[in-house]
Amino acid sequence: MTQDTASVPALRAERLGKRYGPVWGLRDCTFAVPPGGIVGLVGPNGAGKTTLLALTVGLLAPTEGHVAVFGQRSRAQTPLAMARVSYLAQDHPLYRGFTVADMFHFGRSLNPSWDQALAEARMAALGIPLTRKVKTLSGGQQAQVALTMALAKRAPVLLLDEPVASLDPIARLDFMRDVVAASAESGLTVLIASHVIAELERLCDWLLVLNGGRLQLAGAVDDLLAGHAVLTVPRQLADADLPGRVIERTDSDRHSTVLVAAAPELVLVAADRAGWVAQPVGFEQLALAYLRRPPGQAASLAEPLGSVGSAGRAVAS
Amino acid sequence: MIWVTWRQHRAQALTMLGVLAIIAVYALAVGLWMRSSFNSDDLGPCVARSGGADCAATINSFFQQFNRGPVMPLVILFFLLPGFLGAVAGAPVLGTELERGTWQLAWSQTVPRGRWLAVKLGLIITALVVFAALLSAIMTWAWGPLDEVSIRLTPPPFNLEGIWLPCALLCGFGLALLAGLLLRNTIGAMVAGYFATEIPFLITTLAVGPNVFSTTKTVDCTGALCRTASTNTVPPVSGHLGDLVNGVTHAGNHLVVSYTPASAFWPMQFLTGGIFLTFAAAAIVSAVWLLHRRTT
Repeated sequence: MTQDTASVPALRAERLGKRYGPVWGLRDCTFAVPPGGIVGLVGPNGAGKTTLLALTVGLLAPTEGHVAVFGQRSRAQTPLAMARVSYLAQDHPLYRGFTVADMFHFGRSLNPSWDQALAEARMAALGIPLTRKVKTLSGGQQAQVALTMALAKRAPVLLLDEPVASLDPIARLDFMRDVVAASAESGLTVLIASHVIAELERLCDWLLVLNGGRLQLAGAVDDLLAGHAVLTVPRQLADADLPGRVIERTDSDRHSTVLVAAAPELVLVAADRAGWVAQPVGFEQLALAYLRRPPGQAASLAEPLGSVGSAGRAVAS
Repeated sequence: MIWVTWRQHRAQALTMLGVLAIIAVYALAVGLWMRSSFNSDDLGPCVARSGGADCAATINSFFQQFNRGPVMPLVILFFLLPGFLGAVAGAPVLGTELERGTWQLAWSQTVPRGRWLAVKLGLIITALVVFAALLSAIMTWAWGPLDEVSIRLTPPPFNLEGIWLPCALLCGFGLALLAGLLLRNTIGAMVAGYFATEIPFLITTLAVGPNVFSTTKTVDCTGALCRTASTNTVPPVSGHLGDLVNGVTHAGNHLVVSYTPASAFWPMQFLTGGIFLTFAAAAIVSAVWLLHRRTT
């Protein structure tokens, strides 16, 4: 790549939309993710996660807008665009009658950048013989072979769609540990789609929350956590009297628990003056709050967060 | 891509080679037997000498001996082959990828799916044409003696010789390929492709019969022939072994013969092949177009 990758977002979507017949699977999706690190793509089943990934790989063509990987639009279906992104589809499809060696031969035949040494080293480390047929491998081993295929393609962006959904707890941990290691070693940008939010906690640096085909939230996890707070306030207090924007409000008998999106200093000053209890928000709590918002509501897209300190991490879109 | 195509389709390729080998051995046996019979009964020299006029009875018995009986299995097989082998070769190309979800793997490597399909289709179609051409060549050789004394304008041997088999096989392949894309299921696409191939079969059988090239001529005759001449007379009253006589009208000392000359073989072959290839091309172009358009 000749471009200065530091200045070009690893992933960038611009008003991206995909319609299936009369139904929009994804609509008005705009975000930019900087290179490096792990991106969590969170949403319930049917939120549009797979659609977003398929559009990014170029397996689907967008109905409107576009998505680019390191500045290269995915729709083009050109070798240049395809070389920039690896994709591990849901249920990690492989040719069942192939041996592991055949799968790698397949990868080598279809990818000029194929890293055979990496593929073989990973299989040796995992104790998976190259001569075994794919259909005789366990689910966890198949997932590892599929991940190895994606890694050995040596693309700068790796997309994983529900990669551990079919795995047992041990295999899940092993798999995720390998993904994190690979990302750290080679500076990969990894996007992991999952409907299990807890799975992504402590793993991702960037978060995209998708619901009903709409992007609800996008931003660096540190910024998002710093830019939100949970306030416990008297129940009769109006939303307008709270600092920042109210994302979610739960009323009990006398008190309300409110998740607000606001700069931390604003929250501190307001809480101090009024005597409210302000607590930091947790990753899962934050993601869930945005998932519970009706999809029609305008996405937050981290707009208030540009002012929240680490603007340098957010890539202008 | 060449390796990938071979690895994914080698089972079908080996099946085809097996079919080719079995048919070749059987055809060789029948062909040799036919040749020895053709020569030992003084049939060959008689045909060469008199155009069949001196040995009508021998021709008839030779025809009866071979045109049914030993070659029948081959004839039946050839009616089934294009639809069956076309379905076996065509349905998995897209059907299996879509059924198993491996399309997501195949089309997310560094080869655009247009090129992926182009290489696969190029290699598979070449293999099918070579296979069918070899099979036709073997059958043309095996059928040689019968061809000298019988009519080539109807199946058999119309569907065993010339370009019929390559064209019909490509037609079966194209329809099964498209069925695989539409049904996203290998077995379903094989069945659908096989039955879809019946449509061009019916069209070619009903619309491109020898009667399309039928012509009439008046033949002078004398004696018994004038009274007994019929469509089944050997050699045909039109004058050439290989002509197909459709009707004979007796009119005094001459006959009005409506017939399709043996020379109509190639025009009929090209017309039939053209219909098959039109179906094949329409199906393959549709598949390529749909693949670019909708891939969910």
